[in-house]
Amino acid sequence: MKLPMAHPEGYAGPAAAVTELSLAQVGLSQEVELVRIDLPAEEIEPLLERGVLPGCRLCPVRFSPSGDPIVMVDGVLLALRKETAGCLCVRRPDSEEAA
Amino acid sequence: MPLVALVGPPNAGKSTLFNRLTGLRQKVANYPGVTVEKVVGRFTAPGQGEVEIVDLPGVNGFSARTLDEQVTRDVLEGRAEGLRAPDALILIVDSTRLEPQLMLVEPVLEIGVPTLLVLNMADELAAREGEVDDDALAEQLGVEVVRANARAGDGVDRIRTFLTHVAERGPLPPRPCPVISNVTRDQKGLSLPVIDAFAARRRHIREVGRKSEYRPPQPSKLTQRLDRVFLHRFWGPAVFLAVVVLVFQAIFTWATPFMDGVEWLVASSGEWVAAQLPEGWFRSLVVDGVWMGVGSVLVFLPQILILFLFLGILEDSGYMARAAVIADRSMYRVGLQGRAFLPLLSAYACAVPAILAARTVEDERDRMATIFVAPFMTCSARLPVYALLIAAFIPDTPILGPFMGARAATLLGLYLLGALAAVATAFLLKRTLLRGSPSTFLMELPPYRVPSPRSLALRLLDRSKIFLKRVGKIILAVAVALWLLAQFPGGPMDPPAIEDSALGRVGKVMEPVIEPLGFDWRVGIGLVSSLAAREVIVGTLGTIYGIEEADEGSIELQAVLQQHLDLGAAVGLLIFFVFALQCMSTIAVMRRETAGWKWPILQFSYMLSLAYLGAFVANWLI
Ligand SMILES: Nc1nc2c(ncn2[C@@H]2O[C@H](COP(=O)(O)OP(=O)(O)OP(=O)(O)O)[C@@H](O)[C@H]2O)c(=O)[nH]1
Ligand SMILES: [Mg+2]
Repeated sequence: MKLPMAHPEGYAGPAAAVTELSLAQVGLSQEVELVRIDLPAEEIEPLLERGVLPGCRLCPVRFSPSGDPIVMVDGVLLALRKETAGCLCVRRPDSEEAA
Repeated sequence: MPLVALVGPPNAGKSTLFNRLTGLRQKVANYPGVTVEKVVGRFTAPGQGEVEIVDLPGVNGFSARTLDEQVTRDVLEGRAEGLRAPDALILIVDSTRLEPQLMLVEPVLEIGVPTLLVLNMADELAAREGEVDDDALAEQLGVEVVRANARAGDGVDRIRTFLTHVAERGPLPPRPCPVISNVTRDQKGLSLPVIDAFAARRRHIREVGRKSEYRPPQPSKLTQRLDRVFLHRFWGPAVFLAVVVLVFQAIFTWATPFMDGVEWLVASSGEWVAAQLPEGWFRSLVVDGVWMGVGSVLVFLPQILILFLFLGILEDSGYMARAAVIADRSMYRVGLQGRAFLPLLSAYACAVPAILAARTVEDERDRMATIFVAPFMTCSARLPVYALLIAAFIPDTPILGPFMGARAATLLGLYLLGALAAVATAFLLKRTLLRGSPSTFLMELPPYRVPSPRSLALRLLDRSKIFLKRVGKIILAVAVALWLLAQFPGGPMDPPAIEDSALGRVGKVMEPVIEPLGFDWRVGIGLVSSLAAREVIVGTLGTIYGIEEADEGSIELQAVLQQHLDLGAAVGLLIFFVFALQCMSTIAVMRRETAGWKWPILQFSYMLSLAYLGAFVANWLI
């Protein structure tokens, strides 16, 4: 079952949708803001517990030899699979003003 | 006696603090998920009172998705067997990642017992220029706050003061067991308000952080530099390989002088004892039975210590978590996830803690697959068997110049064979009995830390004690039993030729079964006695040859083996030991962790069949 996350206040709307991308598409050292997690319920929870919540800042700092991203969240290095990263919907923080 | 529980996220330093407070030596290592079972110790307050302290598995939340998290939750809710509900709590967090870690504060405070918040790793916070105002934080959260460096002992005095107060106050009166609010699990799965609850908690913590002037530390420079190499597309795997080769080469080259030393000690002390004792059955028991049996295993202590030295460095430095990340893709193809790699790596020491460590694997089928294949990983009890046979049958020729010799290469090959069997078996299991897709992989990478020589030395000391205890108990007992069996019929005054003794006959009964593998009855006895523990076969062969060749004085086990086994049989025996599950402790812990006999029996028969088949093929080919 997929449960899309609600857009936190103020982020919804067509303007935001245009600039949304998945974390897997974000290059190294580019800080982005999490908008939504498109994962089944039981897979969201571990992310939430580690502070990966809508509105938090994520920054890929490195790729593992197999190309999976290692992201910095709240000063913690978190290794994910690219499949998981592909389900994290993010936006660039600078688009905030544009929206 | 009041009970104080140590709670906190994984890798925050709970066990380090526990060891400091209780004087015990629980395993500490620099990766999340080290402690998987509750451990109780005792703290004696300077006055007179005492408190019990329980070290718990680390948790990020209280929804108990894994078995180790369930342990923590049970203890906190007072439902753990044999433990009262805690009368006070120490919540210990890593101050370099303060904000995400404080997500635990709210549910922990809801338990409603006196709580001390320990901001651990204060040394790293200061070194990386992070700041926080402890008093403001205490005021914001409404708990007592102590800053500490559990590793060096700074700030621990204030924690002792807290415990002393708890001791003086005594146990809390009986009360209804707390139930930790569990925002994340309702019947319908995860609902939107739950995410909101987490988000609200996070917002609150951010606000607390702001008001207590929390400034997050700079990223660790050392970690950035090392990760650039260790997680590099090319250098990462290359360094991994180089380290592995170094370990195996070291096991053979570095250990040699020490082994010669131990061997000399055993031999000369044996001769000395023989000279002191009058000729007779007692001398035969002590010298031919016990000394040969125990001594032939004792020699391998240096090699085992070298293995543990390397494992210790890998675990304490923080490299293990990286290894899990590098391995995750391959594990994923097999059907497991990178997290299962950590228990499997620790199985290189021993399968028993590895099977327990698999509790951190989230999916039950993944956990089963992990513990099923863990005994294929080469545990340190196999090392004496491998080392003995390799030294006896493989010439010491260099392959990669000074970097790797034929012996190290053979040893590496045996380790690889075991790992391959584990991978193939997991692959099979995940497609048959334990079908299911691998769960997601999520892993915090701790900063690299320089392993402290003291903690490494203590690890080796503890390991030596465990090894000596095993030798002193199991191997000694087996040696005495074998010697006794070798005296009948006829009795110790007039012992029969060993082949006609009770021992010899037992071996002869087995011979038809193991003959296709090229083994004789002596090896057969060794295979049976090694069911207790693998290295027992070395002691057994030592005892048998010791009795058999008692006239020759002190014998060299390697030399006798060369006379009795051909190369095919030796390789067959090595392969048998790669596959077979000869370990009572593993079977016992399997039964406990799977709550039944089904899995251990299946595992034992499967591994035995593989072992027989493998040895047969090897003996037939060579
Ligand atoms: N620099 C520094 N390192 C510390 C400190 N306390 C603990 N460590 C290190 O942190 C790592 C984790 O320590 P553990 O005590 O195993 O952590 P734990 O909370 O028991 O972890 P789990 O059992 O996995 O939940 C080890 O490498 C310790 O040496 C500290 O105050 N300062
Ligand atoms: Mg621990």
